[in-house]
Amino acid sequence: MSIELLLALITGAALFGVGIYGALSQTNLVMIMMGIELILAGAMVNLVAFWRYLHPDNPAGQMFVLIIMTVMAIEMAVGFGVAIARFRAKGSVEMEEAAELKG
Amino acid sequence: MTAQMFFIGFFGLAGVWFGIVVFRTFSMVRSALALLFSQTALGAMFLSMQAEFLGVLQIMMMATEMSIMAIFMVMFMMDPGGLGEMDMTHQKRLSLGAGIVSFMAAVAVAVFVDWGPLASVSPDAAQQTIDLGLELLGRSMLIFETAGITILTAMIAATAVAIQPVKRTREQ
Amino acid sequence: MNLIAAAILAPLSMMVLILLLRRFPAVLALLGATVGMFASLYLLADAFNGQGNQLILPGLPDMPLRLISTPLTALLSTLVAVVSNLVLVYAVGYMKKDSEKVRFFATMLLFVSAMQTLVLAGDWILLLAAWELIGLSSYLLIGFWYRRPGVTSAATRAFLVTRSADLGLYIAVFILIASAGSSDIATTLNTGGNAAIAAGFFLLVAAMGKSAQTPLHDWLQRAMAGPTPVSALLHSATLVAAGAILLIRVAPMLPPEVLLVIGLVGGVTTVVAGLIALGERDLKRLTAASTSSQYGLMLVAVGAGVPLAALLHLIAHATIKSGLFLGAGIFQHSRNSTVLVNLQGAGRDRPRVFFGYALAALALAGIPPMSGYFSKEAIIAASLASPNALLLAPLALAGTLLTGAYMARALRILWHGDRKSHKIVGLYWMGAGLAGLVTLAVILGVTFPDIETLLNTRLPENTPTRFPPEIFGLGAAVGGLILGWFFTARRLLGPLLPWVQQGFTIAGGFDNLMVRPAFAIARSCERLERILYAGVFAVGRFGLDIGRAVRHNDEQGIDGLIFSLVRNTVELGSRARSLQSGLIHREMAITVVGTALILAALLLALLVY
Repeated sequence: MSIELLLALITGAALFGVGIYGALSQTNLVMIMMGIELILAGAMVNLVAFWRYLHPDNPAGQMFVLIIMTVMAIEMAVGFGVAIARFRAKGSVEMEEAAELKG
Repeated sequence: MTAQMFFIGFFGLAGVWFGIVVFRTFSMVRSALALLFSQTALGAMFLSMQAEFLGVLQIMMMATEMSIMAIFMVMFMMDPGGLGEMDMTHQKRLSLGAGIVSFMAAVAVAVFVDWGPLASVSPDAAQQTIDLGLELLGRSMLIFETAGITILTAMIAATAVAIQPVKRTREQ
Repeated sequence: MNLIAAAILAPLSMMVLILLLRRFPAVLALLGATVGMFASLYLLADAFNGQGNQLILPGLPDMPLRLISTPLTALLSTLVAVVSNLVLVYAVGYMKKDSEKVRFFATMLLFVSAMQTLVLAGDWILLLAAWELIGLSSYLLIGFWYRRPGVTSAATRAFLVTRSADLGLYIAVFILIASAGSSDIATTLNTGGNAAIAAGFFLLVAAMGKSAQTPLHDWLQRAMAGPTPVSALLHSATLVAAGAILLIRVAPMLPPEVLLVIGLVGGVTTVVAGLIALGERDLKRLTAASTSSQYGLMLVAVGAGVPLAALLHLIAHATIKSGLFLGAGIFQHSRNSTVLVNLQGAGRDRPRVFFGYALAALALAGIPPMSGYFSKEAIIAASLASPNALLLAPLALAGTLLTGAYMARALRILWHGDRKSHKIVGLYWMGAGLAGLVTLAVILGVTFPDIETLLNTRLPENTPTRFPPEIFGLGAAVGGLILGWFFTARRLLGPLLPWVQQGFTIAGGFDNLMVRPAFAIARSCERLERILYAGVFAVGRFGLDIGRAVRHNDEQGIDGLIFSLVRNTVELGSRARSLQSGLIHREMAITVVGTALILAALLLALLVY
C-alpha cells in the first residue's frame, strides 16, 4: 500500500466532490462550468496517478489525459458560445431564469 | 515519507483548497483566479508524479483558459467584483450532500480496493514524450484524430452559436 | 283422350281459363260443365253397352292412381255432371248482380271437378285427395261472402267438422291398404274379419261427417251462409253425397255389426233432422235439415243391406233437393230473406216457381208417380226386409212421415200470406235450371228399372209382412203432408219446439260437449306451454347472465387491468414530465442522483455475486 497513490486518489476524490458541489449549487453558467472543470480535473489527477503508479510503461494513460484536456477545451468553447448567445438574447446568464426547455 | 509523497500531498492539498475557494468567494474574478491556481497546483502535482509533459501542458493550458474565463466573467457578471455580497447559489444542501457523498464514495473505493504492488520507477521524461508521440501517431491515432476533429467542430459550432444573428430584411 | 279424364279435366281446365282470362266466367263455366256432362253421359252409354273404362296414372310405388268407370261410378258421375250443370245454369241468373263472378264460377268448377274425381276414383289414395279437395272447395264456397258477419265462422265450422271426421277415412284407408296390400278399391272390398269391422266403423265416421249425420249435423245448417247455388250443389250431388257414396261403394265389404250401426245412425238422424226441419224458422235451414234427414234414410237403406235403394234415393234426392234449393233461392231473391216469416206468400207471387217447388216437395215426400216415391218405397221395403226390421223400419217410417210434414209446412207458409215480392233479375236463367231439375225429379223414377239392369242387381221382392210395403210408405207420406198442411209446427211439436229449434242441444249441445273440453285442453296446453316458455326463457336468461358476467369480468377485470395500466403509465408520464423542469441545476442534480443509484446498484451486484 503506497501512500502516494492514495494521496493522489484522495485529492482526485476531493476535487470531484467539490466540483459536484459547485456544478449543482451555482446559478451562473460560467460558475457551473468551473465546477465541471474541477470534476474533470479530479478525473485527470486519478488518471495520472494510475499511469504513474500502476502502468508507467504504457503511454495510453497519458493519452487519456490528453483526451480529457480536449474535452475540457471543448466544454469551454461550447459553454462560452452558449453563454454569449444567451447573454445576447436575455441579457444574463443566470440559469434560474432559463426554463425554456421545460417539458 | 519521501519528497515525492510530500509534494504530491502538498500540491494536492493546494489544488483542493483553491477548488474550494472558487465557490467560497463572491468575486467572480477571484473565483477564476482561484481556479487558475487550483489547476496550476494540479499541474505541479503532475510534475511531482514525474509526468513532465502533462504537467507543463496542464499549467500552460489552464493559465490561458482561466484567463479567458476571467475575461468572460467580467463581461457577463452583474457584479464581477462581488462587492454586493450577493448570494449566487441555490439548492445548497443538496449540492453539499451530493458533493460529500461522491467524495466519500470515491475515497472508499480508493481505500478499499487492493491496488497491488506499485511501480516505483517510471521512464524518464524524454522517453515518456517519445512513447506518447508514438502512441498518439500509432496505436491511438484514430482517437487522437477524432479528438482533433471534434475540437475543430466545437470551435466552429461555438462561433456559430455566439455570433449575432443577421436580421434579413425583405427588400420591397 | 280418355273420357274419364275429360269428365274431370273439362271443368278444371275451364277453371284455369277463367282465372287466366278473368272474363266471361259464366259462359266458360257452362261450357266446361257441359263438356264434362257429355263425357259423363258417354261413359254412362258405354256402361250400358257393357264397356268399362279405366285410366291408370303413375302414383305411389306399386299403388298407381286409378280412375275407373264402372256402371256405378259412371252413373254417379253423370248425376254429378247433370246436377252441377243445371245448378250452374241457375247460378248464371242468381249471381247476375254479384261482383265476384270469376271467383265464384272458378270455385264451382273446382268443386265439380273434385267431385268427379272422387266419384270416378278407383283407388283409395286418389279418393282421399278428392275427398280433401271437396272439403277445401266447399269451405271456399260456403265462405264465399266472407265479408258478411258469421259467414267465415260457418265456413270454418263446416271445414273443421268434416275435416275432423275425415280422420276416420284416413284411418280406414290405412287399415284397408295394410290388410289388402293394395290401394285398389275393388281389391280392398274383399277384406274381411276385424279389419273390415274397424275400417267400416271409421268409414262410417267419415261418412257421418260429410253427410251431416247426428251428432255431426250442425255444420250443414250453418253452411247455408253460402250462396244458394252452392247449397244446392253441396246438398244434392256433391259434398254431402260423398259420405253416402262412400258407404254405397264399400257396402259389399261391410260386416253385419257395422251395417246395424250404420242403419241406427241413419235412422236416428232422419228423425232428429226431420224434427229440426219441422221446427225451423228459416227456409234454407229447413231444407238443409231435410238433407240430413234424407241422407239418414239412405244410411238406413245401406244398413238394411240394400245399397241399391240408397243409390236410387241418392239420385232422386240429388235432383229433388237441388230443385228445392233453386226454388228457395228464387224466393230469397224475391224477398231478400230466407226467414220463413218474411217468405209468407212468396209462392203466390210466382206461381210457376211455386209449382215447380211444390212438385219437388211432393217428390221428396214420396208421392207417386214421382222419383222420390220409388226410391223411398225401396228404402222402406228394405228396412222391413232387413234382419233388424224392428229397429230400422219404425225409424224409416217416422222419417218419411216427418218429410211429408215439413215439406207441407213449407208449402203452406209459402202459399199463405201477402203478395209483396219485387222484380228480380236473372229469373229466366234461374227458372231454366229449376225447370230442368224438377223435370228430372219427376220423371227419374221411370229410369230406375234401367238402373237396376245397369247395375245388375235387383231390389228384394219378397216382403215379410202381409201388406205390401207401399201401403206403409204412402200412408206415412200422405199422413205427413196432411199434418204439415193443417197444423202449425207449434201444435205438432208442442213442448219440444224450443229444444228442436236449438237443434237438439243435448247437454248444452256441441259447444258444451266438444268445444268447451277442447278449449279446456287448449288452455291447459297453453299453461304447459307457458311453463315451457318460462323454462326456455330461464335458460335464455341464464345464458344472458353468464354472458353478462363474462362481460363484467372482461370490462372490470381484463379491461380494468389494461386501462389501469394505461392510466398509471399516463400518470407516470405526467409525473416524469414535472421532473423535467428545464432548469439546468435541477436536471443536473437528478443526473447525479441517478448516476449514484446506478453505481450503487452495480456495486451491490458486484458485492452480492
